[in-house]
Amino acid sequence: MLQTRIIPCLLLKDESLVKTVNFKKPAYIGDPVNTARIFNELEVDELVLLDISATNNNRKPDFKILAELANECFMPLAYGGGINNFEDAKKIFKIGIEKIIINSVTFTNPSLITQLSEHFGNQAIVVSIDVKKNMFGKYQVYSNSGTKKQKVDPVAWAQKLEQLGTGEILLTAIHQEGTWNGFDIDLLEKVSNAVNIPVIANGGAASINNIVKAVKQGCASAVCLGSMVVYQNKGMGVLVNFPNKTDLDNALNNNIKNI
Amino acid sequence: MITIVDYGMGNLGSGFNMFKKIGVSSRITSDLEEIKSAKKLLLPGVGSFDKAMEKINTSGIKEVLDQKVLVEETPILGICLGMQLLTNSSEEGTEKGLGYINASGKKFIFNDNKMKVPHMGWNTVKKATPSLLTQDFEEESRFYFVHSYYVEVENQENSILKTTYGLEFDSAIQHKNVYGAQFHPEKSHKFGMKLFENFAKI
Amino acid sequence: MAKLNIINRRPYINSDSKICATCIYDENVPAIEFDENGICNYCKMIDNLKDQYHTGTPEGVEEFLKIVEQIKKDGKGKKYDCVVGVSGGTDSSYMIIKAIEWGLRPLAVHYDNTWNTAIATENIRKILSKLNVDLFTHVTDNKEADDIFKSFFLANVPEIDGSTDIALAETLYRAASKFKVKYILEGHSFMTEGVSPLSSAYVDGAYIKNLHKMFGKLRMKTFPNMNFMSFMKWIIVKRIKKIRPLWYIPYSKEGAQAMLEKEYGWKYYGGHHLENRMTAFNHSVYFPQKFGIDQRNNSLSASVRAGIMTKEEAINEYNSDPLVEDELVSYFKKRLEISDEKYALVMNGDRKTYRDYPTYKKRFERLRPLFFILAKAHLVPMSFYIKYTSKTEI
Repeated sequence: MLQTRIIPCLLLKDESLVKTVNFKKPAYIGDPVNTARIFNELEVDELVLLDISATNNNRKPDFKILAELANECFMPLAYGGGINNFEDAKKIFKIGIEKIIINSVTFTNPSLITQLSEHFGNQAIVVSIDVKKNMFGKYQVYSNSGTKKQKVDPVAWAQKLEQLGTGEILLTAIHQEGTWNGFDIDLLEKVSNAVNIPVIANGGAASINNIVKAVKQGCASAVCLGSMVVYQNKGMGVLVNFPNKTDLDNALNNNIKNI
Repeated sequence: MITIVDYGMGNLGSGFNMFKKIGVSSRITSDLEEIKSAKKLLLPGVGSFDKAMEKINTSGIKEVLDQKVLVEETPILGICLGMQLLTNSSEEGTEKGLGYINASGKKFIFNDNKMKVPHMGWNTVKKATPSLLTQDFEEESRFYFVHSYYVEVENQENSILKTTYGLEFDSAIQHKNVYGAQFHPEKSHKFGMKLFENFAKI
Repeated sequence: MAKLNIINRRPYINSDSKICATCIYDENVPAIEFDENGICNYCKMIDNLKDQYHTGTPEGVEEFLKIVEQIKKDGKGKKYDCVVGVSGGTDSSYMIIKAIEWGLRPLAVHYDNTWNTAIATENIRKILSKLNVDLFTHVTDNKEADDIFKSFFLANVPEIDGSTDIALAETLYRAASKFKVKYILEGHSFMTEGVSPLSSAYVDGAYIKNLHKMFGKLRMKTFPNMNFMSFMKWIIVKRIKKIRPLWYIPYSKEGAQAMLEKEYGWKYYGGHHLENRMTAFNHSVYFPQKFGIDQRNNSLSASVRAGIMTKEEAINEYNSDPLVEDELVSYFKKRLEISDEKYALVMNGDRKTYRDYPTYKKRFERLRPLFFILAKAHLVPMSFYIKYTSKTEI
């Protein structure tokens, strides 16, 4: 059976790995290539790397780091951050990265999605939807690393993206990110059930229970882990790690009682 | 020495890296002479069927491959789209495939919203017809898949691995010196390394 | 192409070498002296330490348990009563397990120089999660850490990984201070590691600061350097003590490793300190090839002294090539952005030492009497007093 993908999500800022909380206050985690190497040695299913300052600083992706990463890893890599044209995307695929993740450009040039997906296959094109929950409980979509509000509803936007040729959606709940408070299951469920393409849950994971809930209740096809894989525990020191595979398999295949 | 055929589409570097990791030499080339002199061939592929066949047909690679594979019986391994190209045709496009194995590509169509397309992620394989390519595989071998079209062989003896995703399909195929893997060995850690090792030994 | 060849100056012990009677340090070891019985001054130093600390005897154990009681007493009402540095290696992994056995409530502290291997982080994780011990980490910005490593390399001095030692010490102190803990437990063992000559293992905050100023490019923002005032603050104002349990109690590295593997799934990484790639480069490539120093003679000599190995066995192992991970050198060059030409230039070039650059050494020497008192009070390790405050090099 197809196994649920559990994916470390690493954030890159100016050549260092960092971890944020609600997309703010980046804290140092370590060297990106060495950390990816560790995940490769731990045989994780897949790796997501997001450059969180490229777009806002008008910078291109760091092709050098990507080439080094592609060299080190024997599992699929997805990269996002600062991709806004066909040529750069092509360059990234050539380096050996499996999928690209785009966000801000989907608002300014949505036809790029179609162009990329027709040329490289839709399975290689992931669009990231970053969502904040405002004080009235309404979901709002943001671009540019959570700084620019967009006037779209996440569900409608997801459906539009699917039509344009997106292969996968990375759904991040900004209000949960880095908090260890679990995923936003409501948001997940609404979006996953509205589209036929896979949705990856991101933001807030604290435990295997959270992961199971995202899959069973939130209907996520895959789950990203952030703080969980770079810190020993909530409030504790930096320690690159990954949940035990047997524990994960058991949990996902048998419903855990106290979800 | 494995010759990785560069026809303009595919994740070439990753295959090269994995061969390097297991101590097998390989080269990436689009040069017809080098392909002609190859001892073993790897046909990668990511993207659309028609585009890939177009590139292969117009570059002269088709003729060289026909000679190598059908006449000289050089071992060839097609990966992902590369495996689909080895077959007769695919529902994805209108072009004819290379036709080295009697099989064709079909689209995953599910009524259930929960069965997402493309089939993407790690899935397990079940051994069918024994093959040198799958020798000594671990019990629970799993590989990384990402595809919207699957392959169905005409003759069961050509199916060497099967995988289930809504339906059971042929995840690896073989006909004499022609091998195909629907998944990405170069992205499947130690499981992929085992397959590459086996291929190198053929 | 010939310019890129590294002249391998790794040392060998042959039948002509003058070797100590009780270990395998030979005449090439800096500042070595042999007495009328052919015993070297390093062995004597170790014997002195053994006497002082009653290492491995019931007396030593008793003395140590008294310290444990004191630690518990001073830790009452606090979240942790001691701080233990962990690296994923044998000694520190053993240390934290024993701390729990002794009934202490440790905080594990890790300094991440961003060159860790997966084995190291996995070892740390396995042990801490089984023991349920909290972890405090300091990670230096990888570009800064690399800038400092590169400065030491370009300065042609041996202590390329010295910054990690100081940073770890500073991180331990900061963690202890944050949680108002008065004791740092260190897994150092002179019995299994011997004593290194100072000329290849000198570290202090001024050395780092000055080399970085001369050869570095980035500003030091996240690197936890320890300047003299900091050092004094931690030991005189905060009075944080350093205890080295393995100086008192019996300790066998093999025994420890067997226990770690069996009970915690801990993995050995093939050599002392090879769990971190910078340390691995330092010990397996940089020291032997450029400086003609092979620090394996430390632990091998220790094994000979302890009777675990014969001199012949130790010499044979010393003369064999050190284990070097595939692609370690190319990783080093790539990460520090050093061209093949520059690498060869440095590796084949001058050998400098701490004496060629500004450090705190003279100051330490002037304050020798003070440091004696501090050493007796466990505020600095006795080995620091012996090596750093002495005018004659040891």
